[in-house]
Amino acid sequence: MSDILALKSVRSGPRLRIGFLRLTDSAPAIVAQEFGYFAEEGVDAELLEEPSWANIADKLAYGFLDAAVIVPPLVFAVELGTRGISQRLVIPCNISQGGNTVTLAPVLARRIQEKAEKEGFSVPHALAAGLSGDQPLALGVVHAYSTHNLLLRYWLATAGLHAGRDVRLSVVPPARAVEALASGQIAGFCAGAPWGEIAVRQGVGINVASSDDIWRTAPEKAFAVRESWAQDHPDSLKGAVRALVRAGQFCDAPENASYTAALLSRQKYLGVDSHAILSSLPGGAIAPDNLSRFFRGAATFPWRSHALWFLEQMARWDLIGNIDAQGLAARVYRSDLYRAAVAPLGISVPLADSKAEGAHDSPWQLDAAPKSIAMSRDRFCDGAIFNVVPAPASF
Amino acid sequence: MALTILLIDTDAERAGALEDKLSQSGFARVLRAEGPDLATAVEQAKPDLIIVDMALPDRDALEDIRAVSGASPVVMFAGTDDPEFAQEAIAAGVCSYNLSGVALQDVRPILASAVALFQRYRHVETELATAKALLNERRLIERAKAILMKNRKMSEPEAYRWLQKRAMNESRKLAQVVADFVAEEENPRRESKP
Repeated sequence: MSDILALKSVRSGPRLRIGFLRLTDSAPAIVAQEFGYFAEEGVDAELLEEPSWANIADKLAYGFLDAAVIVPPLVFAVELGTRGISQRLVIPCNISQGGNTVTLAPVLARRIQEKAEKEGFSVPHALAAGLSGDQPLALGVVHAYSTHNLLLRYWLATAGLHAGRDVRLSVVPPARAVEALASGQIAGFCAGAPWGEIAVRQGVGINVASSDDIWRTAPEKAFAVRESWAQDHPDSLKGAVRALVRAGQFCDAPENASYTAALLSRQKYLGVDSHAILSSLPGGAIAPDNLSRFFRGAATFPWRSHALWFLEQMARWDLIGNIDAQGLAARVYRSDLYRAAVAPLGISVPLADSKAEGAHDSPWQLDAAPKSIAMSRDRFCDGAIFNVVPAPASF
Repeated sequence: MALTILLIDTDAERAGALEDKLSQSGFARVLRAEGPDLATAVEQAKPDLIIVDMALPDRDALEDIRAVSGASPVVMFAGTDDPEFAQEAIAAGVCSYNLSGVALQDVRPILASAVALFQRYRHVETELATAKALLNERRLIERAKAILMKNRKMSEPEAYRWLQKRAMNESRKLAQVVADFVAEEENPRRESKP
């Protein structure tokens, strides 16, 4: 105890106030803080638990937070001033891939799973076939500008289901999703870990799909920083990125899963059963039905092709108007900041800023320096390939 | 002009105080909502303005109010042209959504009342927390002194000086040193520190 306090007093540099929500993929930020990675990299970080995405967005916009572990579509919404005032933000590194579940009430889930098995349907097709028509199915997503809203809509659309017409999507914050499902306010939800697992453990839900079933290796949380803070403190920003990438490596190592779960379960972080957290950490379950990834497969790299996919999907569902997607993606997703920050770590870094998303059915090698990076398959549930015009790498 | 205001606050006392204040002014109809389904509450009340406690996770549900309020856009902080006022509101822990596009000068007195009330309650909360911490610190110092007087046969002033000196040597706050000392002494399984 005294050692930790003594360590804190020697830290220097500007204060970096990082907002996070009670979610498993806040893990790298929590690990970087608790294990002293931020301090070692000369960053005086302060972690602030926020109750809602709206608070994160407002506090970033008005300067009460300098940075956040955040869903990327919300970063674009803040950038564009689509909700509240606008604020320039940059994403110098990604935090996680995967980790969301589509969780349905048990009776509905079993009916759909049986139908899918018997008729050889995909889960969303079985869901579509089972809709009664008189009352649209009510499903919860965690925020209008969330990855969950985009992934769930994408998945439903593969079976011809459209939000608003066939399914009623309502916004239910993650920490409230289990309660809303138990009370029957919603028939299911798409939310980040550990909330699907908690619903399963309480017997009020069954996970019928995960991020991986919709888009394997789907990008999930990113680290966003106010552009002005990033410009004023370039060295601290690099330090923060290094601390988070190192913490991502820690969280991705199977042997660390139980440590990470125990740390996250503390009252001041997630405040939930550590076993519910453990189940979606790499190495935390023998056969995980939902998995977050924090480092492997270039998971921390801010891919411009991810930014463009998010922007395309946001436009598809009328969440944003006509914008210069290429320009915005390049301004926000800062691979140059990432490359400069991680250089001292000696880790392999992708050579390109974009890649073909969903193009791989089997493990593949990504061009990177000093050596190539082993990647896993990355299919979308509908087999689509999202290929942007290759942008020249910026070093 | 009578405005319909939907007030969403878990602190019943504060909500009551604000409701009284706004209702007295005669230009507002105040409704209160709580609980999981805020979208339905908004749909039923059709408010011009929503005032919400920022400590609620349910605030996320209000972000998608377009789905229920039809075409009218949601304006946050009812007047984003005044960032200082919005900052004050955030610092106080209150947020507002202007659903019908009422002009800022019309809703400003209402929001100012809300901000002032939230600030006052926050102030009381902070004072209470400080008082509690101080009381706990005193209790621990008394306990530490008693331990030193009993185990090491010190006088009361000696015991206090011993604790002060230790805090100075370790360049830590007295409260932290005392808390650790009491925890160590009262938990014999833990090894004592050099």
